Amino acid sequence: MKRWIWFLIVVLLGVALGLLYGWVINPVKYVETTPATLRIDYQTDYVLMVAEAFQADSDLNLAARRLAIFGDTPPTEIVRQAMIFAAQYPYAESDQELLSRLASALQTWNPSLETPLP
Amino acid sequence: MRRDERGPWYLLTGLIIGLILGLVYAWLISPREYRDTYPADLRASFKDQFRAMIAVAYTANGNLPRALDRLEYLGDENIARSLAEQAQRTLAEGNSPPEAQALGLLAVAVGQGATPATLISTKSSTPLTAIPTSPGSIQTTPFESPVPASILTTEPSPSAVSTSPTESATRIALATGTPLPTRTPTPTLGAPFVIKEKNFICDQKLVGPLLQVLVEDQSGAPLSSVEAIVTWDGGEDHFFTGLKPELGNGYSDFVMTPGVVYTIRLAEGSEIVLDLTPSECETPSGSRYWGSWLLRFARP
Repeated sequence: MKRWIWFLIVVLLGVALGLLYGWVINPVKYVETTPATLRIDYQTDYVLMVAEAFQADSDLNLAARRLAIFGDTPPTEIVRQAMIFAAQYPYAESDQELLSRLASALQTWNPSLETPLP
Repeated sequence: MRRDERGPWYLLTGLIIGLILGLVYAWLISPREYRDTYPADLRASFKDQFRAMIAVAYTANGNLPRALDRLEYLGDENIARSLAEQAQRTLAEGNSPPEAQALGLLAVAVGQGATPATLISTKSSTPLTAIPTSPGSIQTTPFESPVPASILTTEPSPSAVSTSPTESATRIALATGTPLPTRTPTPTLGAPFVIKEKNFICDQKLVGPLLQVLVEDQSGAPLSSVEAIVTWDGGEDHFFTGLKPELGNGYSDFVMTPGVVYTIRLAEGSEIVLDLTPSECETPSGSRYWGSWLLRFARP
């Protein structure tokens, strides 16, 4: 009986060591990730790039398509998250203004009215 | 008594079983959630989208230091080459010519080298000297480094986006062969570009029969992002100068197919060069190889 107790203890110890190694010391290295997994500051910078382009071309459909890189999240939500981060950090006022303009424009954006690509 | 003689091997067995179970759980069943990844880890297609977005933003704001900061996220070994290659691919696919042009413009600007930027922290308003952030340095505590480019106010550096030449097309004009008889270029009234040079080049280092195009302004400075249109019986292709910055910002080339007769002009308007076809050259030892055409367009 005593042997079984010791056996279970070392099994649990092994599991703990395995988890430590697999989660902390040498976790699974992910490559070929998607933009949705990017760190928030990189995501925000991408959204800012979209806002900069929108400032120049005023093409809301194109901006929405560019934001679709983040998956199913609605464009308004993506920009809102970016604005929150930009305000917290904070980004330069001019950059926050660009994000704000894009967010305002997206409020009126209707995906069903988007012209289909040829 | 007999049991005790077996020793503590059962403990080692248990430890190994536990380790295996732990690793299977940590690596396969429930791997650590992958959040907070870096652009350098993105799938290639997403990297291309990210790179294209950087180029489009650059054409919108003209801020080269910011574009360079962003490009470093992607961890490309040769940033200018990655941009130029993607520009060529995008152009070939024909999906988004403006995007291709933006990538080409940024490739040219990067190829010319970024000027040092003065970065101003929005928190302290203290001028800081821009220190290039190596891609490796992004593995840090969140929001420590790199400082997101977007929070930096950079001084515009007009010189960085000018089209002044820094490199020349050294690959061309190594040897000038005898031009084959062709028609005289047809002058176009009011054409902003005229033919200044038309030479048949015999150079074994050139791969394939090339149609090389150099475009310059009045002062002889190379012009990038100039669209050239090459046509042949049943086909047409477009290409831009500056997508191979290592050969010069006004340089572009097109691989010709033997036996096909080409006509070339610049989209902005130029003299039209007719009847360009690949011809062979011969070495002193008698071996034959394809020569190339070199055309130099310039503003009058």
